[in-house]
Amino acid sequence: MHPEKNNSSAFEPKIIAFVCTWCTYAGADLAGTSRMQYPSNVRVLKFPCTGRIDPVFILKAFQQGADGVLVSGCHPGDCHYIAGNFHARRRFAAFRKLLEFVGVDLQRLQFSWVSAAEGGKWVDVVTDLTETVRALGPMTEFKELALEEQWSGALTTPELKEAYLQI
Amino acid sequence: MNNTIDISHYAAIADSIRAEAARILEQGVVTAVVAYTTGRRAGSVQPVIITAAAEAERLTFTAASVNNLAVYLTKAKKDIPRSGRIGIVVKGCDLKALVGLMGESQLQRDQLYLIGIPCAGVLASTVRPAEALIAATLAPKCRECDAHLPEGCDYVPAVSLPSAPTLEPSYAAEIARLEALTPAERWAYWKEQFAKCIKCYACRQVCPFCFCEQCLCDRNKPQMVDTTPRPAGNTAWHIVRAMHLAGRCAGCAECERVCPMDIPLNLLNRKMAKELKELFDYEAGFAVHEKGPLNSFMEKDDQSFIK
Ligand code: SF4
Ligand code: SF4
Repeated sequence: MHPEKNNSSAFEPKIIAFVCTWCTYAGADLAGTSRMQYPSNVRVLKFPCTGRIDPVFILKAFQQGADGVLVSGCHPGDCHYIAGNFHARRRFAAFRKLLEFVGVDLQRLQFSWVSAAEGGKWVDVVTDLTETVRALGPMTEFKELALEEQWSGALTTPELKEAYLQI
Repeated sequence: MNNTIDISHYAAIADSIRAEAARILEQGVVTAVVAYTTGRRAGSVQPVIITAAAEAERLTFTAASVNNLAVYLTKAKKDIPRSGRIGIVVKGCDLKALVGLMGESQLQRDQLYLIGIPCAGVLASTVRPAEALIAATLAPKCRECDAHLPEGCDYVPAVSLPSAPTLEPSYAAEIARLEALTPAERWAYWKEQFAKCIKCYACRQVCPFCFCEQCLCDRNKPQMVDTTPRPAGNTAWHIVRAMHLAGRCAGCAECERVCPMDIPLNLLNRKMAKELKELFDYEAGFAVHEKGPLNSFMEKDDQSFIK
């Protein structure tokens, strides 16, 4: 929320990863126990299944300050609940199109299939997304909305700017 | 100008509706008929539910018969006592909504008596209900309507549909315009649109598919969507609304019509409909589908966007 931070060269992207517990979480765990290195920018949130990952969670993540979001689960055919990831695949295919239409840069939203055996792929996916988002810079769109929510609009007047700087 | 939409057959339709409603109520085919009646302002029309044959003479059908009456048959309107078979007047777009509701097991076909309207179009707004129906006052959805003649109804007035002028589809053009912009420009456009929203939820109230007992957007534990009519909550509301209607929306454009802030809600609906057609070859129509595009799947669905 501090504008001066956005310009500093030390921008560290916040990546939120929504993963299913059976495949990708286990894959990330494998990466960890195998002592593979991957960016600590990623915050992992565990779900029973990609089918449980509601698009509204992705919105919420962006609103709360995520610069990038990863959604990852079992490969098609490997779902613990048989078809959860097939349903998720359709839902996210549609949701991507909607976000694109309202003007969200889709490079910030990555989907992947990472199995429990693919610790290496997890590292690749997370690293790629982190670096892409780092190059893109902070995701400001949703944060600005939240800021306006508190400030009744942009900081356009000198009075508002002064008041803002005093907190 | 040949921009005038010929609706000379609406008077005959109104006569037929009156006669048919009286007949089915008289003979006990139905217990009630959901239809349109004349409103108080000159030219205005409003929804009505009649239960006696004698009331049928109040019914009408004009270019101001804009409402999608399907909404009165949903769970959201469960305070309307109901028993037996119900008659309902439907335009093509309204019928698509009923069909969608049947697919979602909200209604049963044999509990309905459908009076289908060979519809040439209705007004975009009811602010001036007596206005002539010309290209400029025609509802944008009617410009690109592919359902002038509802199919599979129990009764359709025996009138022939006058030929209509071909009009440029306006939603398709606007979608193309927005798609050609950069993401930042699109964001700016929608930000301005969503900022206008006052969260009156008229769009939700009027939508036949918004029948949830409790809307996700009203819940506060956890609160996924801020309820205040402010930029962040508005944006989330509109994205969630469009997503929850994707693959279900019948395109009746009622949401857009009732919005007091003139937010182009149906633009989002049309965009999603277009994408679902391209992705999963699905379109709202007259055939009841047990599963919609977003609660079914195929193993070969596209996953080129997934790593
Ligand atoms: S979302 Fe709008 S256009 Fe679609 S069915 Fe609901 S009211 Fe009609
Ligand atoms: S009808 Fe319009 S103003 Fe009211 S909640 Fe819907 S979009 Fe917002």
